[in-house]
Amino acid sequence: METLLTRHLDATTPLNLAAYQAIGGYCSLSAAFDLKPEKIIETVEAADLRGRGGAGFSCGLKWRLRGADAPSPRYLICNLDESEPGTFKDRYLLYGGPHQIIEAVIVSAYALQAERAFIFVRGEYAKGGHSLNQAIQEAETAGLLGSSICGSGFNLQIEVHLSGGRYICGEETAQINAIEGKRPNPRPKIPRPSTHGLWGQPTTTNNVETLVNIPHILLNGADWFRSLGVNGGCGPKLFCVSGKVRHSGLFELPCGTPAGELIFEHAGGLDEGRTLLGFLPGGASTAFLLPEHLDLPMDFDPVAKAGSRLGTGSLIVLDNSTCPVEFTLNLMRFFARESCGFCTPCRDGLPYLAQILTAIASGEGHADDLALLDELCATVASQSFCAFAPGAVMPLISSIQCFHTHYEQHVTNGHCPFDTTTQGERQP
Amino acid sequence: MSTILIDGRTIAFKPGDNILRAALEADVEIPHFCYHAALDSLGACRLCAVEIKPKNSNEAPRLTMACLEPAKEGLEVSVSAAAAQQVRRHVIELLMINHPHDCPICDEGGECHLQEMTVTCGPPYRRYRGRKRTFTNQDLGPLIHHEMNRCITCYRCTRFYQDYALGNDLGAMRLRNEVYFGRFQDGPLESPFAGNLVEICPTGVFTDALFRQRFARAWDLNTAPSICPHCSVGCNTLPGARDGTLRRVRSRTHPELNRWFICDRGRYGHQYSEHCARLLSPRVSGENTSYHKALNAATTRIKATQNCIGGIGSAREDLEGNTMLQALLNEVGGVFTAFNDPALEAATIAAVSWLQNSAGAPSLIEMEQIDAALIIGDLTAHAPMIDLALRQAYRKGAELTLFHSSPTPLAQFTTSAITVPPREMYAKLSHLCTLINALLAGRDISDDPMAVIAKSLIKARQPLLIGTIETLTATDASVLAKLAITLGPNARLTYALSGPNAYGSALLAPEGNAMQILESVETGKIKTLIVAGNDPFSDPRFGLRWRAACRNLNTLIVLDCILTATAEAADILFPVAAWTERGGTFVNYEGRAQSFLPVFHRPEYLPSAADVIADLAKYLECSRQDVLSVLQDTFPDFQVPAPGTLGSPIPVSLPPISDSPSAGSPLLSSNNSTWQTALMSWYGDETLASFAPGLTSLAPATIAMIEQATATATGIVDGSKIRLRGSADSVVLPVQLNQNIAAGTVGIGRNVLVRLGLGHGDPIELEKVL
Ligand SMILES: Cc1cc2nc3c(=O)[nH]c(=O)nc-3n(C[C@H](O)[C@H](O)[C@H](O)COP(=O)(O)O)c2cc1C
Ligand code: SF4
Ligand code: SF4
Ligand code: SF4
Ligand code: FES
Repeated sequence: METLLTRHLDATTPLNLAAYQAIGGYCSLSAAFDLKPEKIIETVEAADLRGRGGAGFSCGLKWRLRGADAPSPRYLICNLDESEPGTFKDRYLLYGGPHQIIEAVIVSAYALQAERAFIFVRGEYAKGGHSLNQAIQEAETAGLLGSSICGSGFNLQIEVHLSGGRYICGEETAQINAIEGKRPNPRPKIPRPSTHGLWGQPTTTNNVETLVNIPHILLNGADWFRSLGVNGGCGPKLFCVSGKVRHSGLFELPCGTPAGELIFEHAGGLDEGRTLLGFLPGGASTAFLLPEHLDLPMDFDPVAKAGSRLGTGSLIVLDNSTCPVEFTLNLMRFFARESCGFCTPCRDGLPYLAQILTAIASGEGHADDLALLDELCATVASQSFCAFAPGAVMPLISSIQCFHTHYEQHVTNGHCPFDTTTQGERQP
Repeated sequence: MSTILIDGRTIAFKPGDNILRAALEADVEIPHFCYHAALDSLGACRLCAVEIKPKNSNEAPRLTMACLEPAKEGLEVSVSAAAAQQVRRHVIELLMINHPHDCPICDEGGECHLQEMTVTCGPPYRRYRGRKRTFTNQDLGPLIHHEMNRCITCYRCTRFYQDYALGNDLGAMRLRNEVYFGRFQDGPLESPFAGNLVEICPTGVFTDALFRQRFARAWDLNTAPSICPHCSVGCNTLPGARDGTLRRVRSRTHPELNRWFICDRGRYGHQYSEHCARLLSPRVSGENTSYHKALNAATTRIKATQNCIGGIGSAREDLEGNTMLQALLNEVGGVFTAFNDPALEAATIAAVSWLQNSAGAPSLIEMEQIDAALIIGDLTAHAPMIDLALRQAYRKGAELTLFHSSPTPLAQFTTSAITVPPREMYAKLSHLCTLINALLAGRDISDDPMAVIAKSLIKARQPLLIGTIETLTATDASVLAKLAITLGPNARLTYALSGPNAYGSALLAPEGNAMQILESVETGKIKTLIVAGNDPFSDPRFGLRWRAACRNLNTLIVLDCILTATAEAADILFPVAAWTERGGTFVNYEGRAQSFLPVFHRPEYLPSAADVIADLAKYLECSRQDVLSVLQDTFPDFQVPAPGTLGSPIPVSLPPISDSPSAGSPLLSSNNSTWQTALMSWYGDETLASFAPGLTSLAPATIAMIEQATATATGIVDGSKIRLRGSADSVVLPVQLNQNIAAGTVGIGRNVLVRLGLGHGDPIELEKVL
């Protein structure tokens, strides 16, 4: 497949404004300004573009539900916080070509009639944020941003907000607090940010990868976009593959590409003599899938049906030399560390889970620890304030189910079955 | 009214209520931590889980947080459902992971919300086997002790401190299970309302540091409903005593006044009653004696000087004490006033008269609802809880305008703040009045710099006009009242008065008595002066005159609970009970009479001032000796309210102010001096509270504050020294330059004013010291 979103990316010398325009960049602006905003939203909805930030919610539907009559000022937030372990697609977009992002934000803001947009950039991507700012200035000078863009009467200001650097800042409402200069605790979901977001005004948040599809949908139509996917998926998808594969990296492929094709064709498969233990399909906060799922199309609904989530489309692959307990413990330590500290089940539950898991991983687990993990996970997942905690315990719950024997071996043997110092061979 | 069902009980709710609020208001307990009626729902602790019965029987019941779930007609809620209990058990278990479990040595023990919840709905045993997280505590000053390991991260403290009280030096820092509630660095908390952390924190993180020094378990404390004696707001309190000493003061809910909170003056000012200057034995001519002998001595002297007697009551003496003194003087041919400062007497009587002949002052919760206010003076220092009420109005978007002579914390929340020298306040207010009249008559005033203020007050749904009487003249008070009348029936008027019973005391004697008594003492016409709960010698403006005049007296009789300058000079001294050791009645700034009960008794016999005077009346064989009947005679339609109730209004008894109030205001006299004084006050500045060492240790430094431009014009630089000369003395003080003080004004503290013998707005001489 010819790539769409990544074809002009170049992290060493990203295209400047002139070069980007020479290959057709910013074309979608005039196409957009010729259309009524509602018409664009209709097309996006027909294209079945689903959010690439993790939840996979229909982008067009989200835009339509905000309402054309939402009171002004209206805001658009382009979410480039990307802190999900295993996910590095947005970084490619940022470092490879900032103008593509700006073009996408302009036409999306036009569709939403937002007069101010924020691009919320992960703190560690400071350099990328810097070139994004330079590109914004270029665009402003060229009249592509500011008041009455290209004589359309549409005004837009884009600001880059560099994150203070926490995973939770990627969550929509915590991000809103962060932009407002407050503690990045998530906010209650009612009233919704779509009506009461930034400074109490209508606010739409989309992942950057979601947005960069918009100019193409505008230029080529909904049907064309849908035809880019396979096995029922729509449009292109940026997949990150990491872990125990030979060629980890970013792959732009049709949405719906089977997992096996991704791991074994594009990412080069496993090392000699290794077998697949399992993989996380959508970043750290998704449930494990097993070798039996290799034919599964990597698209939102099929992965959800298999009990996991497509999430950010970031596969983390485990082969038979990886202890799944230790791997899961690593994730739990990450999540315990990244809890925003707002609600009890997550703030105090995750470190507790990590503590129990540490005991099990080091062979000091008790017989009833697995039941305790299950019991606590149920409350943490269902009673926490935001989607962080359910995501955080998802790999743990599924890890215990998928790799139950490994867990039991740790408890009954009193040590890790992969531990070479006690076992000689790093074999399960 | 709509209702919901909670475990079979029908509960009424108001529109907008969530399940938890509706339940708590109906006295149905749903376990909770982060919810607080003043702070609303947060949804963080997750303890308030309840189960909602589904509409269709084929659906599963739904678990939800009661504090986030809107109450809807007919909703069936279960607190006791097994699933809800399980969530609560887990939440407590998780909160207890890092908790030190130090209840036996924790100051909160016995009145700890966490302890209660753990016992009610927590698991009986600990399963966690890991290490506990520990924090380092901070030194938050002399009043509040910090013990972060006990924190359950309910965010109540920051929500109160930052969001509600608008303080900015306490916050939540860090994240995950290491969220830390404290200051950026060690140091005393700056908010005048910081002490409320002690009550708002559901565990023992913030505890009363003074109480800690003389600790007693909550269940061992004697308590009784009391009223704060430290200003005219009349907040309701619940003091606690043990073994004959007062240990602490907490807030007691009054739904129209202070609700859940009190200010730090009210919480920590009580140390006056344990001060070493506390009077415990009667004295005659400097010698300790018995109560009976002191009464005998007083009786002899009063009899000997029949018809040459004066009496000074007090704004901090209760209604009973003042009324008894007035009645006694009536019988022995004497004159009564409640004020030693004639200007304050005039201003207070004017203010109370305006209030009595208008719609009356708004309660604190009514003040929270106003949408515009004109504030005259430093409310934080004169009526701290009114400041807190106006902060609530500000949070809801009210436009606040401030006319002030010296810095005040409320300035930061105003739309416009104008510094006005004390002597120009009248002109400023009159001008505003003219502007408002012009606007109402349809004239264009837009080129006047105060036009925005006039417009803001006119367009307001309910504007409030409020002045601090201690820094206003009677004419200032009257022009403020006229402003209110001009603004129409929706405008509200009120004043922060000079003491807990200033309103009640002002009803007892006409304006002019204070000056008449002072002059009569000076001329020798008055031979015996009875002073109850007052300290004329320490009056900034008149102290010097009182001291000199009192040398002419035959006998100075003083009744007080603390050793003031006047008490020290007394020939006959009656120690009386402190406010927590006696019952009585205060009439607050609204004219609301509130009674209080004694919380405890000391081993020494300490009667109230009213009791002493009643005994004197007996010894003198007066016709009226009983407090209740004297009150009945003085206020015929008045019912003394029962302690612990909402109080009852004191009947209207003052005539309306004539249109031109007496112009005897000393502020209008002037000499050639270009400088005038302004009282620089702070929230701990009050007579009784000045005997509370914990609180006064936070008093601002003694300096002279001058406005920048005036200083530059006169060549005075920041940090240099100036000599200030008053009628009594001169002092040398370091200068602090500040934008928030009126031009041509020297801001100085009360103690310096007293030393100089000058009042607020008096001319002062100033010279640079090289
Ligand atoms: C804990 C948490 C972290 C998140 N982090 C990100 C993130 O880094 N980037 C992102 O685009 N979305 C993130 N999201 C999802 C956003 O809340 C939001 O749903 C998304 O940006 C919407 O964009 P989309 O509809 O285009 O996917 C996160 C969600 C949660 C609950
Ligand atoms: S679930 Fe975790 S991240 Fe979300 S609000 Fe609660 S503590 Fe914060
Ligand atoms: S210090 Fe107290 S009030 Fe503040 S969060 Fe902790 S437990 Fe709650
Ligand atoms: S506002 Fe006044 S009455 Fe209320 S607590 Fe403070 S000092 Fe006492
Ligand atoms: S009281 Fe409802 S979550 Fe804390």
